Amino acid sequence: MPPTPPEPLHPVAQELGRPAGGLASYPPVERWDDWQEYDPVAWPRRVPRRYALIPTICFNCEAGCGLLAYVDRETLRIQKFEGNPVHPGSRGRTCAKGPATLNQVEDPERILYPLRRVGPRGGGRWERVTWDDALDDIAGRIRKALVEGRQREVMYHLGRPGHELVYLQRVFHAWGIDGHNSHTNVCSASARAGYAFWHGLDRPSPDHANARLILLLSAHLETGHYFNPHAQRIIEAKARGAKICVIDTRLSNTASMADWWLAPWPGSEAALLLAMARVLLRERCWDREFVRRWVNWEEYLREERPDLPPTFEAFAQALDELYARYTPEFAEAESGVPAATIVEVARAVGRAGPALATHVWRNTAAGNLGGWQVARALELLVVLMGAVATPGGTAPSGFNKAVPPPPMMPPPGKIWSELLMPREYPLAFFEMSYLLPHFLREGRGKLAMYFTRVYNPVWTNPDGMSWIEMLTDEAKVERHACLTPIWSETAWFADYVLPMGHASERHDLMSQETHAARWIGFRQPVLRVLLERQGRTFDLTWQAHEAAGLGQVWEEDEFWIELSWRIDPDGALGIRQYFESPDRPGQKLRVDELYRWIFEHSVPGLPEAAAREGLTPLAYMRRYGAFLVEDRVYRTHEQPVAARDLEGARVDPGTRLVLKDGQVVGVEVDGRACVGFPTPSRKLEFFSRTLKEWKWPEQAVPGYVRSHVHPSSIDRANGEMLLLPTFRLPTLIHTRSGNAKWLYEISHANPLWLHPEDAARLGVTTGDLLKVATRIGHFVDRVWVTEAIRPGVVACSHHLGRWRLGATTGGERWSTTLVDLQQPEPGKWRMRHVEGPRPFPSADPDSSRIWWREGGVHQNLTFPVQPDPVSGQHCWHQKVTVSRPGPDERYGDVFVDTEKSFAVYREWLALARPAPGPGGLRRPLWLPRAFKPDASAYRVDGASLDGT
Amino acid sequence: MRYGFVIDQHRCIGCHACTVACKEENRVPLGAFRTWVKYVERGTFPHTRRYFSVLRCNHCDAAPCVTICPTVALDRRPDGIVDFDGARCIGCKACMQACPYDALYMDPDTGTAAKCHYCAHRVEAGLEPACVIVCPEQAIVAGDLDDPGSRIAQVVARAPVQVRKPEQGTRPKLYYLGADAAALTPALQAPAERWLWGERPAAEVDLVRMLVAAQGDAADGALARPVYDAPHAPCPWGWKVGAYLWTKSIAAGALAVAALGVGAGAPGAALLLGVAAPVVALLGLLLTTALLVWDLRRPERFLYLLRRPNRRSWLVWGTCILLAYGGAAALWLGGGLTGSPGLLRALALPTLALAAGAAGYSAFLFGQAEGRDFWQSPLLLPHLLVAALVAGAASLLVVGVAAGVDAEALWELAALLGVALLLEAVILGAELFGAHANLDVARAAGLITRGPWRGRFWWGVVAGGIALPILLLWYGPTTAAPGALLALGGLWLWEDLWVRAGQAIPLS
Repeated sequence: MPPTPPEPLHPVAQELGRPAGGLASYPPVERWDDWQEYDPVAWPRRVPRRYALIPTICFNCEAGCGLLAYVDRETLRIQKFEGNPVHPGSRGRTCAKGPATLNQVEDPERILYPLRRVGPRGGGRWERVTWDDALDDIAGRIRKALVEGRQREVMYHLGRPGHELVYLQRVFHAWGIDGHNSHTNVCSASARAGYAFWHGLDRPSPDHANARLILLLSAHLETGHYFNPHAQRIIEAKARGAKICVIDTRLSNTASMADWWLAPWPGSEAALLLAMARVLLRERCWDREFVRRWVNWEEYLREERPDLPPTFEAFAQALDELYARYTPEFAEAESGVPAATIVEVARAVGRAGPALATHVWRNTAAGNLGGWQVARALELLVVLMGAVATPGGTAPSGFNKAVPPPPMMPPPGKIWSELLMPREYPLAFFEMSYLLPHFLREGRGKLAMYFTRVYNPVWTNPDGMSWIEMLTDEAKVERHACLTPIWSETAWFADYVLPMGHASERHDLMSQETHAARWIGFRQPVLRVLLERQGRTFDLTWQAHEAAGLGQVWEEDEFWIELSWRIDPDGALGIRQYFESPDRPGQKLRVDELYRWIFEHSVPGLPEAAAREGLTPLAYMRRYGAFLVEDRVYRTHEQPVAARDLEGARVDPGTRLVLKDGQVVGVEVDGRACVGFPTPSRKLEFFSRTLKEWKWPEQAVPGYVRSHVHPSSIDRANGEMLLLPTFRLPTLIHTRSGNAKWLYEISHANPLWLHPEDAARLGVTTGDLLKVATRIGHFVDRVWVTEAIRPGVVACSHHLGRWRLGATTGGERWSTTLVDLQQPEPGKWRMRHVEGPRPFPSADPDSSRIWWREGGVHQNLTFPVQPDPVSGQHCWHQKVTVSRPGPDERYGDVFVDTEKSFAVYREWLALARPAPGPGGLRRPLWLPRAFKPDASAYRVDGASLDGT
Repeated sequence: MRYGFVIDQHRCIGCHACTVACKEENRVPLGAFRTWVKYVERGTFPHTRRYFSVLRCNHCDAAPCVTICPTVALDRRPDGIVDFDGARCIGCKACMQACPYDALYMDPDTGTAAKCHYCAHRVEAGLEPACVIVCPEQAIVAGDLDDPGSRIAQVVARAPVQVRKPEQGTRPKLYYLGADAAALTPALQAPAERWLWGERPAAEVDLVRMLVAAQGDAADGALARPVYDAPHAPCPWGWKVGAYLWTKSIAAGALAVAALGVGAGAPGAALLLGVAAPVVALLGLLLTTALLVWDLRRPERFLYLLRRPNRRSWLVWGTCILLAYGGAAALWLGGGLTGSPGLLRALALPTLALAAGAAGYSAFLFGQAEGRDFWQSPLLLPHLLVAALVAGAASLLVVGVAAGVDAEALWELAALLGVALLLEAVILGAELFGAHANLDVARAAGLITRGPWRGRFWWGVVAGGIALPILLLWYGPTTAAPGALLALGGLWLWEDLWVRAGQAIPLS
């Protein structure tokens, strides 16, 4: 008699089931410890190989998909990465970047030991040092800065957070600094701002799988937050009959799969969406009951329409009036999309009702002045449909995310860094990271210790030459340590290059709002895990890697613990206590202990699930690598306020807010106390009092801002065009995939997409060169003549054009072009290609088989900074002049004048409406901010007391 | 049991995960692909769309690669998977010519052929292929087509599926759902020198340019614009294969002419027909063999042709015929040296038959190269036989003049060469200007007659290799030898162009 099947391993583990009589997708979990498979290269000789299958998390984008590393039990080499079938978000599948992780692990040119520069910064000479050398020097400098009250001079700048967001909050709050800087403002700040002003959470979480209409201002079938998990569910819905509408100026792969592709003039999207809203309002096709219950319409009427009676009918009338001017014909005039199509899609929105899944992340929001209003306008459709956090609808991100708190959270510091959050941008999402070189140039401060981590501002940010000028000035940046698994343009200008592990070489905890559920995923150093299973023990991950033949590659979790101990060795600064073991008082925290504590205390249901399998929570996570905390999460805002919070609480008669001890705990809706949304009104803020009070009254409701690249400002007859420089490719990820040969083999150039009409005007055809001039310089690239772009717009992917300054070092030779960089006079920079990717000798025979010869053109260098005055987002789209290059100009040429870029910075800075706002604050207290400082630090006058 | 694939292009998002997962699973080197995604675009802005198609080995039930492989390095397993064994492969690249789907490549590390093998090593561990499990959209369905309960069998039963190039008669087991016709059919695609995010290798660009030059308005009639494709090594067979046809024509023709002469009772030139002819034949055979072995990526495995033969492959039969013919030539030489006219007369008929076999077997070999439509011409056998006559007569004529053989014997040779050249002209004309079996054949012919090779063809082959030799032969004995040399040169050019043109048309 067969044994009774055990309780389902995991709610999503259907992937593990063997279809009757067929082939299974994954080895059965009970054999993951010792799985035998035939060697693929020796085949058809049957040479058995034995693997340990150890789960981890992909590091090639932000989706946090589960990987399963096949580690050879004898050689300790990773044979391959597959998807982890028990991962709730990715369900065992990955995109091309998942298996390409193997290239990154095996890259013959990867950095294996800590390096310190020799000679001038940027000179390209390095020596190997020990981790102790590097830690002692860095810790000494940080300690000195902290002791001398120079807390603002310690800054950590990262590209890819994960769980470190909370982890690093512990670290930096323990140090008492306000030093966390991110890449968000060159990425998603505008979309975040738009969403946060609506519902307090800064991302959308569409439930694509159950949608009837999927409306995307994104390319989620090829890229983005969260490509693979979202793409799975979008196509599931499509197969079930859902319709897809994609609004994108260039034909993405996603648009190709859509029922409607709308290709508007960039920046006109909000007008398009508001015209759809108008159609729905006119046709009385909206969810009045939902809007009545959950939108702050009373506040709107009170503040903006005191002339009207405070009734919902009056609000409905006000809405009609407000959007009356957004006729489909107006939207057509702005966008070029036919009015009839706009009406058609609007009606599809209406038919979808509460099953309307939408998304905007970078796309137009990241390109245009006022791009944050695109997110506001898109969410207006969701709200009108009552599709907020419904099955098939769009939830605020936080509803579908599990962030388990670690032990011993230190209190926030009473400190505010104006290098991160300057008063000019009180509403920014978040740190004004890409303005740093200009801030330092203006004398706003200096940095004693600057960390960059998986962040490559020289290449990624606009105006990279200003970054080079900043990084090479040792008076502005005294020490620069780059934490990175790979070489980058920025690492070249570091004092220390500290090798941190790839996906399978470090610990991390991930949770992303991939669908209507909440899950966690566990990234782990698989070689260490296997070695420890085999009975070896290690204090630190780099020691395990050394034992496995992986140099001294380390991981950040342990790096920060070590560094913190060395900053405060005797505990006198009050820092060390947060890096002591919760179990062994006074002893240094081990990374195992940290995660054991989190899994035992902070993940509901995990201890019980582990116990059912006879495992500790940590052993469960080491084995499965993921845990589904809650499935089918809908209408979180409707949840009743917890009974203990209601005890002694009162309801404000005007706002209906539920208050306890001065704190808002919920909102009363039709007599029920609900948790609502994390906004000041606890409702969906159609009207944002925050925007009004912080000097943007004309933008307080979803509206349309004419972009800086509106057609009226572009003189096409004189060669002016709009450059759309922001699109991604399905195979690459910013600057992290340059060492992935299988990805570069597929895509390695970023030609200018040009409509045939423009090509004819310019007299060029595919492969010819064009010169694209911005306000601060120009670049020369090849042309790709295509019907996949709107006339008048030229588009260029931002994923290519990597370069290196050293013939054999400083960048992965799979992907980088060797360039010559000259500064003929101060502020004037010239870059010229010496040679593109070429075959090179290495331990990997594939390096001699590189067959592509161009690595693309680096366009971002030529972009001035263009900060949106509200969201702080760099507005990527550029007004450019496109012409045939001169006889001396070649493919890949770049010229930049940083004096001009500083002047453009000052122009855009003048658009800002600085703090203080109400209460003398630097920023609204309720507005999200990474690593919020103590409330006292929000006061502008408080800061001026201590010298800022 | 028959394993197969369904690829659902309704679901495929063109993400290349299958491509990379396959490279990872099977450690496929740079420049080679076992599965890849092709993109084509149609329409004009804003009514434009990009179509994806996942291309790979079709695991044909009637797999031409298995048939042509001389050493059984490729085989169809009992479960329907077409697998390969690098340890048996000699690197002859015939499989790459046989496959109509561009599925095979030469592994640069091993010098042996490789392709998608359905992850047979995983299947034996009970697991689906790597491309299947990685696919975010579960757009690839793998399973047993013979099991009516399997998902794949149900899909194939209930949905309108397509296959690539059904007219090739390969009976593919890779079925497409919702694929775009233009994406699957190279003939419907416009030429392209670059891709939307990358280059094409220089050899591919050269081919594209040649096709465009031959065709005039290259996009004329194209339904779609290809915008991405994986690189493929074009023209697996280079100059050595054209040269091999030529040396083989000489080898076969020299003795064929001698046998004809002896059979017709020509007594006068015993030295020429009895000794020089077999020497030319044996030297030609030696060169032919050297070229064949040289063209192998694993030349040291040459003898696998005989030790591990695939009896369905004309490469194997050809080798046997050449061996037998070599024996006949040696006997003939023995007869000639010992001055035994009786022996030669007895050998005449069997030698003629073997010479015809040596000249003509390549027609069946190229016929097995199912991927190359240009080579599927019914005129190929006469083409090769006539080429042998031209080469044989011309080479003997040259040798005869050099050896000072009497004019009457040479006059007959010259007459034979003249007739053979006229026949060559007729066949060549019919091949290039007659009705073509399909568009690909017409494009290949156009490359020769109108494309970048037209100079070589019109001046080298037609004028220099046929017309001028006929004139020179006509003119008299003093110019016969230069005429014969020109005829040989023209023939070599013609074979070379013919081999190249056949491979110039993209398969995928």
